[in-house]
Amino acid sequence: MSRPVLAAAGLLAGIPVVLATLGPPLSALPASGGPPFAPDGFLGTDVLGRDVLGVLLHGGASMLAITFTATALSYLAGGLIGLLAGAARSRWLDELLMRPLDIVLAIPGILILLLAASLAGHGPVIVTAVVVVVNAPAIARLVRAATLDAARRPAAEAMRLQGENWWAIHAGYVGRCLRRPLLADAGARLTSAVYLTGAANFLGAGLAPDSPDWAVAIDRNKAGLLLQPWAVLAPAALVVAFTIGVNLLADELTRGKP
Amino acid sequence: MSLGWYAARRLGLGVAQVLAVVTVIFALTWALPGDAAVVIAGDDPDPARIAGIRAALGLDQPVMDRYTSWLGGLATGDLGRSLVTGQPVTAVLGAASEPTLLLAGVTLLFLVPAAGALGITCATRAGGRFDRWTTTVTVALHAIPEYALAVLLIGFFALYLGLLPATALGELTPAALVLPVTVLVSRSLCSLARLIRASLIEALASDYVAHARRHGVPAARVLFRHALPNALAPAVQQLARTADWLLGGIIVVEAVFAVPGLSAAVVSSVASRDVPVLQGLAVLFAVLTVVLHLGADVLAYRLAPRAVS
Repeated sequence: MSRPVLAAAGLLAGIPVVLATLGPPLSALPASGGPPFAPDGFLGTDVLGRDVLGVLLHGGASMLAITFTATALSYLAGGLIGLLAGAARSRWLDELLMRPLDIVLAIPGILILLLAASLAGHGPVIVTAVVVVVNAPAIARLVRAATLDAARRPAAEAMRLQGENWWAIHAGYVGRCLRRPLLADAGARLTSAVYLTGAANFLGAGLAPDSPDWAVAIDRNKAGLLLQPWAVLAPAALVVAFTIGVNLLADELTRGKP
Repeated sequence: MSLGWYAARRLGLGVAQVLAVVTVIFALTWALPGDAAVVIAGDDPDPARIAGIRAALGLDQPVMDRYTSWLGGLATGDLGRSLVTGQPVTAVLGAASEPTLLLAGVTLLFLVPAAGALGITCATRAGGRFDRWTTTVTVALHAIPEYALAVLLIGFFALYLGLLPATALGELTPAALVLPVTVLVSRSLCSLARLIRASLIEALASDYVAHARRHGVPAARVLFRHALPNALAPAVQQLARTADWLLGGIIVVEAVFAVPGLSAAVVSSVASRDVPVLQGLAVLFAVLTVVLHLGADVLAYRLAPRAVS
């Protein structure tokens, strides 16, 4: 593992997180109504005439909240389904749990999102639910495969022979074996959640158009890219820094380990 | 198991999968709470218009009748008519898929050789400087969301340098394709190149490669004739996953670059709540996905019969 890459990745992921968590309590959301795309202030103004820097400080919280909530819920749902399917003693229960997930995997996530948004309405709850629906099947598959693998190992076999009960084997031993493959995959899941959330907001299927969210800001301000590039470049740079940082961190931390 | 038997069995599974997806899409669009006709009417809740929409969608009929008639329509290639323009859904989809297929095709044309070259080079120099940097850079590229990368590239190449058109408004000229294809390739390069690298490293460390080397088979022949076909089997399956993911990613890229493809159809049908068109789009995506996976599985079986099954 190379230390400079690790440090750079931590810095990249850390800056947006710090801005997003400290911004809202330390500053007020700027009011709209000023001149749009004017060079006033440190980073100028946006399409609604708000101070870009002030909006920026409030735009990360929604992305982080939706992303982390949705990822946690995905692991809860996917992990439970995968563990049940992998540990199931009857084959039909395994099939019953896993087959429907193949169907979800056959439809692009963005399309599920747009379908849900057009039929059930916009908003952070819908986006979170869709991210869970899109991410949980992949987690369930991973957990199922790892559970099957772990349950066949000599240690599990020995526990079974000693007469340990089913729950002790699965919650104790198999659960611990799952930690590594799940960690290795966590970066991909988090990026996928950031990606879907951002795409939803960018395509206008997520948060309201006057929300300070970074993806919404990129979409709304791209009309003024020539006049006032900072209104687009600043939120885009923060989104890119966060996703690159998280991915490189996950990649560096898990590389070379079985 | 012979190739023909394997293909037939996979085809049967594929048909069942398409049927299941189609049923889920039907359920998703109709079983949602609330009156679909009222939702679709939106800002114009005129009772006559709601009644009209209800009749057009067949909402006044029992669910099973609607389902069977919709399935019947699907089987004969009739997906209904757009609620907004009144055009047949198949015509809307046909016109919209042309630019999207062009974009996807050109992307694959660049993606496959690039991923192959990177994967093979990294595998033969595994652990070296080139290998490590390629991994870091492709992981970073993979992490950037399309909308952010697209906007940054437009800002630099189209607006600042003025080298390339910022959008593909109107038609997809070769110059207008450069930026969208760059965005799509850079995001899908990582998974494919890394998979080729990993499975090639495994193949090169295998007994049969060692055996071929001991027999004095030339290095290039060992690599391309013996190791690579076995290593490509999982990569071909990954390519199918990339390709259907590409179709989803294209929705975003098309929206940014104003390409008049499937994305425009998706976004406008979402905005106007044009349910028949949306259903048609979802069916089209699902069928494409299943067909791609099927083709990839059969090709992988042909490359390395042992690895599949």
